[in-house]
Amino acid sequence: MSDKQKRGPFCRRVRREFLWQTGAGFGAVALSSMLDDTFFESTASAATKANPLAAKPPHFAPKAKSIIFLFMYGGPSHIDTFDYKPGMVGMDGKTVDVKTFGRGGHRNQGRIVEPRWKFSQYGECGKWVSDLFPNVATCVDDIAFLNSMTADSPIHGSAMLMMNSGKIQSGSPALGSWVNYGLGSVNENLPGFVVMLDPTGGPISGAKNWSSGYMPATYQGTVLRSEGSPILDLKTAPGVTRAEQRDMLDSIAAINARHLANQSDNDELAARIASYELAYKMQEHAPEAVDMSDEDAATLELYGADKPATRDFGRRCIIARRLVERGVRCVQLYSGGAHNDDNWDAHGDLEKNHNKHAGATDKPVAALLKDLKRRGLLESTLVVWGGEFGRQPTAEYAEGSGRDHNAYGFTMWMAGGGIRGGVSIGGTDELGSAAVEKPMHVKNLHATILNQLGLDPNRLSYFYSGLDQKLVGVEHIDPIHEIIA
Amino acid sequence: MTVRANLYKSIIGGLLLGMLGALGLAAEATKVDFATEIQPILARKCYSCHGPDLHEGGLRFDDRATVVSAADSGQVAIVPGESSKSELLRRVLASAESGERMPPEGKPLSELEVDLLSRWIANGAEYSEHWAFRPPQPSQMPITMNSAWALQPLDLFILEKLEHAGLEPAVAAGPEELIRRAYLDVTGLPPAPETVAELSRNWSEDKYVQLVDRLLAAPAFGERWARMWLDVVRYAETNSFERDGLKPNAWKYRDYVIDAMSSDLPYDQFMREQIAGDELDEVTPQSLTATGYYRLGLWDDEPADPLLAVFDGYDDLVSTTSQGFLGLTLNCARCHDHKIDPLTQKDYYAMVAFLRDVTPYASRSDGKSNNQVDLNPDIARLHEEYESHRREIEKVTKRIERDAIKKMSAENQRATEGFDREKVLSEQLVNYTSEVEFREYSQLKSELGEIEEKQRILPKRETILGLAKLDAIPEKTYVLLRGSPHNTGEEVEPSFPKLLGGKAPKLPVPNAGAQSAGRRRILADWLADDENWMTSRVIANRIWLHYFGRGIVRSPNNFGLMGDPPTHPELLDYLATELVRDDWSLKKLHRKILLSNTYRLSTQSNSLALAKDPSNNWFWRQNTRRLSAEQIRDSVLAIVGQLNEQVHGESMYVTLSAEVLASQSRPGSGWGKSTPADQARRSIYIHVKRSLPVPLLSAFDFPDTDISCEARFLTTQPGQALTMLNSDWMQQQAQALYNRVRREVGEDLEQQAQRCLELATSRTANKADKQELVALVQRLKTKHQLSEQKARESMCLVALNINSFFYLD
Repeated sequence: MSDKQKRGPFCRRVRREFLWQTGAGFGAVALSSMLDDTFFESTASAATKANPLAAKPPHFAPKAKSIIFLFMYGGPSHIDTFDYKPGMVGMDGKTVDVKTFGRGGHRNQGRIVEPRWKFSQYGECGKWVSDLFPNVATCVDDIAFLNSMTADSPIHGSAMLMMNSGKIQSGSPALGSWVNYGLGSVNENLPGFVVMLDPTGGPISGAKNWSSGYMPATYQGTVLRSEGSPILDLKTAPGVTRAEQRDMLDSIAAINARHLANQSDNDELAARIASYELAYKMQEHAPEAVDMSDEDAATLELYGADKPATRDFGRRCIIARRLVERGVRCVQLYSGGAHNDDNWDAHGDLEKNHNKHAGATDKPVAALLKDLKRRGLLESTLVVWGGEFGRQPTAEYAEGSGRDHNAYGFTMWMAGGGIRGGVSIGGTDELGSAAVEKPMHVKNLHATILNQLGLDPNRLSYFYSGLDQKLVGVEHIDPIHEIIA
Repeated sequence: MTVRANLYKSIIGGLLLGMLGALGLAAEATKVDFATEIQPILARKCYSCHGPDLHEGGLRFDDRATVVSAADSGQVAIVPGESSKSELLRRVLASAESGERMPPEGKPLSELEVDLLSRWIANGAEYSEHWAFRPPQPSQMPITMNSAWALQPLDLFILEKLEHAGLEPAVAAGPEELIRRAYLDVTGLPPAPETVAELSRNWSEDKYVQLVDRLLAAPAFGERWARMWLDVVRYAETNSFERDGLKPNAWKYRDYVIDAMSSDLPYDQFMREQIAGDELDEVTPQSLTATGYYRLGLWDDEPADPLLAVFDGYDDLVSTTSQGFLGLTLNCARCHDHKIDPLTQKDYYAMVAFLRDVTPYASRSDGKSNNQVDLNPDIARLHEEYESHRREIEKVTKRIERDAIKKMSAENQRATEGFDREKVLSEQLVNYTSEVEFREYSQLKSELGEIEEKQRILPKRETILGLAKLDAIPEKTYVLLRGSPHNTGEEVEPSFPKLLGGKAPKLPVPNAGAQSAGRRRILADWLADDENWMTSRVIANRIWLHYFGRGIVRSPNNFGLMGDPPTHPELLDYLATELVRDDWSLKKLHRKILLSNTYRLSTQSNSLALAKDPSNNWFWRQNTRRLSAEQIRDSVLAIVGQLNEQVHGESMYVTLSAEVLASQSRPGSGWGKSTPADQARRSIYIHVKRSLPVPLLSAFDFPDTDISCEARFLTTQPGQALTMLNSDWMQQQAQALYNRVRREVGEDLEQQAQRCLELATSRTANKADKQELVALVQRLKTKHQLSEQKARESMCLVALNINSFFYLD
């Protein structure tokens, strides 16, 4: 007891870690853990060198082991989905004074586009949800809604980077890279950070959205396809069977073993030998992870994988669950891809756009939550839903219902992974134009995600360019405590 | 009594004995260097609570005054000359249970660290200036016992440390290893096995010297070493962000760097041209091309906060310039004074002020005027006449379009913002304009067509990427509080960082017709000054890094307090001083390193040395190094006999699979098609598109192009094996290799196997390895019924996947 009191002054604060580059190679060092300073002593340990994705202890007991980020690319309209604005009823077409900032620049006035869908109350919590999400609406008691999200940019390019990497410029690691850097992977046969794209194409800026930035490529996202060869170059070349490749690998190993004999202390050579075996195992395990033949009909039906409209996203949600079951840390699914109405970017006809994208995802998303729950996985899986920003209450053009971007206020939600269900935090003004009650920044969202995974967002750092870089930036950022169970 | 307490006792006891012995010589031998041995311990074990940020207990270890006087507790952390009275030592040795141990979290100090601290305190606990902020000390050749071992003066610096550490240098690498090493290090390409065989015969010092000189003169040298610099300057050919648009003529900057390396452009001139190529006494097309340096970074054509974007642009330049040339992370002082290094926020903005005449890369409405420099003003003028006419007409046509679009349906309005604009306009414009207006519009459109025709027959404009437009009278520069351009502090003038003298230079007053502010010239001259010890050390260290796998300073972009101290500070000073003395000739530096005995050591391990120095801190052997992404791809092309050695020119596009292109929002957008011959060019010629990394290169740690890369990662991951075994490209290369060996040695399997291995490793094939490949072909044929050809192609693929191909022994 007295010891503790004595130690008090020294222990209360979070320690700032200094990463000094020592050791044999530059690469090996940067991979070394930021979680302890053992590598300062001499060189990076052979084990770390051999597998930088080896599981690492978190900062504190985690609530979630994995995260599934359902990225509604293009920016869904919050006031048409989860941010109920009864006061707007009957205001359609009225010109009002309201400050907006979107692709069309700063405006002070606009024509109101009344929310186009009916809202009803759901669950014990009585959350108002629009008719766009009748299925997700049945899960509201498991969901924490963040109704006062804000972001730094209302422009897709920079806003996507912000949501994915915490910065409006490219070059920084994605959230999934941070998670793998912090925790490693518990399944070496699968990538630790998986990205599944929409069939219409990637989001703008493509690979920048899952880049590991200044961290080594080990932590970058791997694009996984639900059809065909799941991972690039995973399949043996045409006409080559796995058995044949096994024989080739054996020859490579035999030759490498002789080479290694001269430098038996060389971990790196040994690691490369191991990496060929790992690749071989991945060839077996990755296809198995995306193979849905052992999913029963009821499950396929639950996810809508049996219906054309929901088939693609339904299948991807099933795969997301399968990946999480296999220990993958971070799975990101894109709803929407490419440009214009191929994603949630409803500048033209709001109804057509949102009916299409909500129609393709509502059932699969609800199924994912229910399926995770019935399998006991929701407790350890953090599900995050949202886009890079929301949309304005007013029309973008003289005619039509299209809405421009809005980073001043929008809604995201989280479920599972130690998040309190049935709560809604924060709020926007009566038009949904800006967050007014407890505004929350993307950084708070990121901090919450890391926190649930057992990582202290203000401590998880990577030394680069002379600074201890953090996902949440240099200033102290709090997780959203109100939604943590 | 605990073990640690015993240790404490024995250390103090030992020290007392040592002091009583009063052996001056011994004290000299055990002298502890503050900068390299003590300060790192304090920084990583103590600073987090007792450092520049936090001064818990009134104690900060970065300030000697506070640690030698009583802290808040009344205790004195360090009593110079008296380890046993120093609270610091008592606390680092306290048991964890006592609750007094320092640091309270994490591992306790190692015995070695405690020993260093106590000896340092016993010697008076002197703080010294950070090594990098001191000018190089006059070189004194180290005195060594076995000086005959040294082949170059630099070897003496290595040998001195080895002898001090009781280490023997490894034996020399055999000629086969050394020849391959030198080829790949100098040119990035492997030697032909015949060349190695021929040279190895009657191997001699003369032969090696001749080889080194030949390699340094080869055009391939420039292609290999230009990449070193392109990493530092975050070279890419697109702007990132949503459109990731092309930077026209960026490749000319790349060719400039290749030529600079090949022609051994003195490094001081190389710096001057990049920083102020437009302001030099003699401005040449070459020096103008060098200013492409300023145009390589990110550029957001649609920033949410335009003013912030401007300063993000300056930040990119300050970061790259300070890290790349000076080894200083001045970027850390953008929002507040540097926490550790003596760099102030004012220093940061004083550097911005030097660069303040640099305009943003472009504007949304004008993508070229700021960044495309005309080399032939006469031709440019001819074009400009048409251009200005065109702009006049377009003012009218755009207005008509705009007015009409406003009246269209929301969906059509939306469509006019994208690729379908022309289509929508051609179909819809007539419905939303008056008859008169539409007639005018059609008339103007046809005039535009005529202008285009006329312009087409003019001689082509000769343009390069660079500083095309500058603000000759730049806006004032202010310290931006917390880095926000919306919150300005005091005004600053250009001046050099305080820690490097801090002189405020005399600024020229731009005359009426000036194109630029003349400030960058001053910066360039300062960077390239013979007396600027930062720049010469930084470049010498970079070159060393690429010959040994790590720099003398392991953090090449950060020579500050948070960087890594040099393992051989005197050696670094020697190399830097010699570089300046050699009129900044980089090739002479390359030659010194290549001819050193240190470079030529074997990579073989030795259990004694390994036990004493497992991380090879003292260079008792050469490090085994994996080939870089470019070396791997270029070597494969050379080995299979397909490499196209054409130097210079526009970038080419390697074929990317549909899966890779599908990651783009517009699959295939911005990625062209090149002929097979062009695709067989060296990797430095592959188009660098920020949002579309080339899988083979990124798998092998091609750096992120958004930020300066000081040293590449060297990861080992299964994705590399997948690419090397299964990609279409590698399948094609295996087939090409099979064709080659067949052509060269005929159908005999053993000979083919031998030839494969020789080509892949540039050396005599090991008999057992050869038998392994022969047996593989048999297995594939009998067990798997593969055709003869397919089985032998697989053999070729295996030869390109062995460690003796991937690594330099």
